[in-house]
Amino acid sequence: MGKIQTMLQANKLAQGLLLAAFILVTAGAVYLIDRSVTAFLLMLASLLLLYYTSFSNGMKWSIAVFLLVIVIPFATSGGTSRESYMEVATQCGIYVAMALGLNIVVGFAGLLDMGFIAFFAVGAYTYGIFATGQANNFISGELFPLSGGSFWIFILIGGFIAGIFGILLGLPVLRVKGDYLAIVTLGFGEIIRIIFNNLEKPVNITNGAMGLSSIQPPDLFGFQFTFPHQFYFIVIGILLIVIFAVRRLEHSRLGRSWKAVRENEIAAQSMGIPLIRTKLMAFAIGASFSGMMGVVFAAKQTFIDPTSFTLIESITILVMVVLGGMGSVPGVILGASLVTILNLQVLTEFTSWLNQLSQQGIFEVPNALSPSKMQRFIFGMILILVAVFRPHGLIAARNRKLPPEAVKDPSPPLSKPEVQPD
Amino acid sequence: MFSSILQTLPQVLIDGLALGAIYAVVALGYTMVYGILELINFAHGEIFMTGAFVETAVLFIFQGAGWLTDMPAWLSYVLIILIAMLVTGALGVGIERVAYRPLRKAPKLILLISAFGVSFVLQDVIRFIAELKTGNYIISTPQLFDQRYQLPLSSISSWFTDASVKANTLFIFAIAIVLMIGLDIFVNRTKWGGAMRAVAQDRETASLMSINVNKVIVLTFFIGSALGGSTGVLFAQQYGTIDPYIGFILGLKAFTAAVLGGIGNIRGAMFGGIVLGVLEMFASSNLGILTGGNFGAEYKDVFAFMILIIVLIFKPEGIFGKAIKEKV
Amino acid sequence: MSDHQEHNVLKVTNLMKRFGGLTAVNGVNFDFPKGQISAVIGPNGAGKTTFFNMITGIYVPDKGNIELDGESIVNIKPDRITSRGIARTFQNIRLFGSMTVLENVQVGMHIHLKTGIVGTLLNLPRVRHEEHDAQREAYRLLEYVGLAEWYNEEASSLSYGAQRRLEIARALAAKPKVLLLDEPAAGMNPRETSELTGLIRRIQQELNISIILIEHDMKLVMELSHHILVLDHGEKIAEGGPEDIRSNPKVIEAYLGKSAVEEEIQI
Repeated sequence: MGKIQTMLQANKLAQGLLLAAFILVTAGAVYLIDRSVTAFLLMLASLLLLYYTSFSNGMKWSIAVFLLVIVIPFATSGGTSRESYMEVATQCGIYVAMALGLNIVVGFAGLLDMGFIAFFAVGAYTYGIFATGQANNFISGELFPLSGGSFWIFILIGGFIAGIFGILLGLPVLRVKGDYLAIVTLGFGEIIRIIFNNLEKPVNITNGAMGLSSIQPPDLFGFQFTFPHQFYFIVIGILLIVIFAVRRLEHSRLGRSWKAVRENEIAAQSMGIPLIRTKLMAFAIGASFSGMMGVVFAAKQTFIDPTSFTLIESITILVMVVLGGMGSVPGVILGASLVTILNLQVLTEFTSWLNQLSQQGIFEVPNALSPSKMQRFIFGMILILVAVFRPHGLIAARNRKLPPEAVKDPSPPLSKPEVQPD
Repeated sequence: MFSSILQTLPQVLIDGLALGAIYAVVALGYTMVYGILELINFAHGEIFMTGAFVETAVLFIFQGAGWLTDMPAWLSYVLIILIAMLVTGALGVGIERVAYRPLRKAPKLILLISAFGVSFVLQDVIRFIAELKTGNYIISTPQLFDQRYQLPLSSISSWFTDASVKANTLFIFAIAIVLMIGLDIFVNRTKWGGAMRAVAQDRETASLMSINVNKVIVLTFFIGSALGGSTGVLFAQQYGTIDPYIGFILGLKAFTAAVLGGIGNIRGAMFGGIVLGVLEMFASSNLGILTGGNFGAEYKDVFAFMILIIVLIFKPEGIFGKAIKEKV
Repeated sequence: MSDHQEHNVLKVTNLMKRFGGLTAVNGVNFDFPKGQISAVIGPNGAGKTTFFNMITGIYVPDKGNIELDGESIVNIKPDRITSRGIARTFQNIRLFGSMTVLENVQVGMHIHLKTGIVGTLLNLPRVRHEEHDAQREAYRLLEYVGLAEWYNEEASSLSYGAQRRLEIARALAAKPKVLLLDEPAAGMNPRETSELTGLIRRIQQELNISIILIEHDMKLVMELSHHILVLDHGEKIAEGGPEDIRSNPKVIEAYLGKSAVEEEIQI
């Protein structure tokens, strides 16, 4: 086994062949076998396999895009469960983007934000209010709902408004010590929900607990996006942009400032990094990713109400980041995918399987213990276990190592390092 | 407008003080643990909630055994509080052992994450047990005292309407005062209290002075959690209905109370709790009147939260706390 | 090197800081000459680090003034003071432990880099150029302090002495006028200390940076310093060149107690 491993590590061609074979088999299985969750999950696992190959970065990205844009949509189009696969994939994409946003706040800047879903809600309501007749309640002229064509601009507007909310929350809070931040953001998440739940008077802005329905679906030159397999492409598009943005930021001046603040605030400040502004940037950028996906979510569901934005959602995203590995972009992507699949597929499948057993009288499972209700327990356990046993997560964050030719200057050094006689 | 506010003021004060006493005792748990470990024990709200469920469970057992009719109500009440304190105290110690102690040298962020994890696990475990035993996780608890005393305030002055006090409210005051005075004496007058204060000042030095730091931390968790658990009992008796999620918002508010009084400061936490309770009750009965019906009692949590934000902006060290600066 | 240079880089007048009942620094006046090495010495608890913390803006003085090149820097935030030209190291090492050695130095360049978020996201050629220059510059600084071969390692994996040198490289990256070193030789073995002595002197001579250091190692202080300020219980008890300080009875008393003054003891 060890021998094969070393051989594989050395041989890129072998890796490529193996990967291609794996993709072919799993994709074929998804295409041919109806409703096979296992095959679908294995097909997604090919992305993880790809991550561990020793191809160049550009190569990995090309293959990943090829898999996401062509192979996966095609393979799932074979059977009757196409939409449910695509729904899972779309949700995965939405959560990955949000988790990457939270990763900027928690992983890079080291600020524990427990109310992250609030920014998602802000994005969702931003689009929801204007893409339904709701805005007519406070803007005269019967201009609303806006057409589905406005969706594309609203992705940016939603991100922007969520970013503003991030700054508004951050301004008072980021002055105080780190541990207060967690509890204040926790409160903030609830507050936003309470406000959306009650802001039907004095002016009806959010329609309260009734929520907003018949939100306009996106529209591109007359083509309407209504099915998950169509939304999938929107989400993948945004997600790729988000991943590129995060990778750029991570190794930029700003990204280093975030990490410096996380590692040692006093030293960071003494190096000329303004603390509040740097933390606010993390808050705002993280929030805006969440806000953008909120817009997509509203358009996809065509209905939103405050129950979609509860504490458990904030926890879910935190679990994704912590499980995957705080500060690690590939880790967070893996964590978010795993938790989403756990939530949407594994828990529900497991529950219905247990129910079947109960009905057949083989094995009595009390309703209270139904796995789909055990989310809090499972997430709580993940948080504790990762914190105690694997604080760096599944894929630990790694520093970028620069090759010598990137740092060595052809011109002579400042002065020769002094060689001390021993 | 003001006359209508004034009319209900006595009732608001009574209810506010009862709620405030509950916040105050829960806030003590936050403040004690923070004083020793500089950790916000997020699971504390859930320990309070567990106390409320222990109360209900014990009460059902007493009922089933027929002891409730044999014993005077106050005796069962005190017994239940003691049992709840033991259970939740032990729970607190267990949590420290499993989820916090292995992380004492880890970054703060990791510790906070573990604390959150504990909080969610507890919520679900309690929900599971409650649902398994009763079929529902929202539970009504039998009342030990159901008397109500009328205070004929309208006969004193026409400014006020009559107010009423539940017998349980008086009991809350009594228990809260006993617990707070007891804790104050314990911390300030006893050997173990002295050790606690020493560890809170400087853990390293305290351990050099042959104080067993681990024991002090365990003791702190036991006492803080027992206080939280006892409040759960008072809460269940006062409001009658409990669910596994009551600890979350209440914990948040009790934490606000602790910050208001200056986190790490025991007397400050008592003060902060009372102030917050009264303010919240006032807001919940008068926000509607004050805003012409636009924003009603549903915003009372928003109101409490605003207080937290305002305190953090203008006086982050709280009313009785001292500003602490990191040593450079 | 001119000893009679008129210009002072940093001027401290009547500086005072209280913590509750304790007066940590009490009415200290001192002029730090430009381009030279000055030392602040004194027994433990004399207020040396508090003095540094006021200069770098971490503490705001209760009274008095601090002028950098004639401009007051009191009440300015630490990050702004850095961009005015003061950089420092810390007594208890404060590196960015999980970042690489090179990245630590790059963080030190923060105030000289201009890339904003838009430039980063668009990956403009200007930005790539600046980033590349920064990497090479950081590497040169690492060569200068003798850490180049570890540039890809995690900062926390370095040895103690190397961490102290990394702190110096990081501070140098800010291109300061004044470099404050808080006990740079603490915990170093004699060989490391002598290397450090050479490094500090080179920084002063080759990079023309004014250096102020706090240090307990008297050999290093006497070897390097042009001017010495002695603090005891927050007050200035002596100032002058190494020779004056060595023989100053007040200084000997502060360090060794009254009885020692009579005996002739070298410090």
